[in-house]
Amino acid sequence: MSTAVDDDLWSAIGDPTRRRMLDLLLSAGTGTATSLSEHLPVTRQAVAKHLAVLDRVGLVHAATAGREKHFRVDETQLARAVAQLEEVGSSWDSRLQRIKRLAETIEKQKQETPNDQ
Amino acid sequence: MEFGSIEREIRIEASPEVVFDVVSSPAHLKEWWSDEAEFGSDGEGRIGFRQGDADIDWQRVTVVDAMPPRHFSFRWTHAEGEAAARGNSYLVVFELEPAGTGTLLKMTETGFRERGWAEAKVAAEHADHVSGWDYFLPRLVPYAEKVGAGR
Repeated sequence: MSTAVDDDLWSAIGDPTRRRMLDLLLSAGTGTATSLSEHLPVTRQAVAKHLAVLDRVGLVHAATAGREKHFRVDETQLARAVAQLEEVGSSWDSRLQRIKRLAETIEKQKQETPNDQ
Repeated sequence: MEFGSIEREIRIEASPEVVFDVVSSPAHLKEWWSDEAEFGSDGEGRIGFRQGDADIDWQRVTVVDAMPPRHFSFRWTHAEGEAAARGNSYLVVFELEPAGTGTLLKMTETGFRERGWAEAKVAAEHADHVSGWDYFLPRLVPYAEKVGAGR
């Protein structure tokens, strides 16, 4: 898999309509451009384009059954993206707690020794 | 939430001047984040993370804006030889607002949409990177508690 495809993943997830589509696919298990467009304020053609974007970055996979392609979320790929964000978020939580403690310690020391200022 | 950005805020019982110093000075930054930190007067610098006994993983830092005591922002992780810009680095922004006797500190980190997936793949697929976080995160908690207890 090329780097360019990997870099597209975040912009694929960044779009609100595509996120809604992922939600719908996750709750229904599978969906087609037609079934998804029934729950979204966009045309079937627009949904098909969004599905193509998601497919290209590996977030959904299509299986042809009958007249339409049936799409399913690649949960491993989605979990990777989510895990990365959670990891970054929790490491910032720890850093901010340390910033808080350091600043409050310094503030306290300043107040206890005002003549040093 | 915009996918690809991290947003946090925290209330701190210290003046914005003190908080600004803690988030922006290399001496303090080494206590809340990296093992090493060096900033030049031109706003260019680097932070280092120890990898075992001798190796240090250096990451470049470029200060974008410093307006004490209200705003401090920087980009980091851009490659050597490249100027920090959207698409090659993460942007961290600290906004400080006076809140009663203390400060409301707001932090955002963005850039994941532009370049984050490669990092995500590294995090998911390379055991050494994952174990790096496993090492790093638990280490923060006892230190923070120690600093807190020493008040």
